[in-house]
Amino acid sequence: MTDEAQIAAAPPRDNKREARAIAFCVAGWLVPGLGHALQKMWGRAITFFAVVGVLVFVGAGMRGNLFNSDGGDAFAALGYLADLGTGGFYLLAKYIEVGGPDVSHAYGDYGTRFLAAAGVLNLLAALHAYEAARGRKA
Amino acid sequence: MLLFALMISIAFGFLSRRRPLDRVKYIAWSLLLFLLFGIGIGWGMYPFSR
Repeated sequence: MTDEAQIAAAPPRDNKREARAIAFCVAGWLVPGLGHALQKMWGRAITFFAVVGVLVFVGAGMRGNLFNSDGGDAFAALGYLADLGTGGFYLLAKYIEVGGPDVSHAYGDYGTRFLAAAGVLNLLAALHAYEAARGRKA
Repeated sequence: MLLFALMISIAFGFLSRRRPLDRVKYIAWSLLLFLLFGIGIGWGMYPFSR
């Protein structure tokens, strides 16, 4: 069989499924756990919502550094990307942290790690929701 | 550190395992390793701390 015949015989790409998977991924990023909830994976949905929520709440409560887009250096940019990973919870963290960050104490430094870990974890969960919607993961 | 390790372990357990018993085992094992490595690295850095 020639290459052209193989390409013609291949099943057409399921664009609808792919679009749904991307939608679940974005939903999961915006609201932690929503990507799984839309696929009726309730245990994972509740867990991710709670875990990311606790990490953000504690991190912001410890007055961790919540990075902005105008950080200035590469580390600040990476921190901003990590913090953005929390999706809608980024705004919640801003709301909680009315006094601004205080990294002059160890607590603030730990809080920064909590916030970044929450963001990266949520990105991982959103990616998992995407893969699950594509049928690659259970 | 305990809270951080617990939260991350739970998330990893739910991400990577499907059956409840497997999840519990994974979470417990992951939490133990987090704590062991955290305390181990802390003590490892102690001689260079001053």
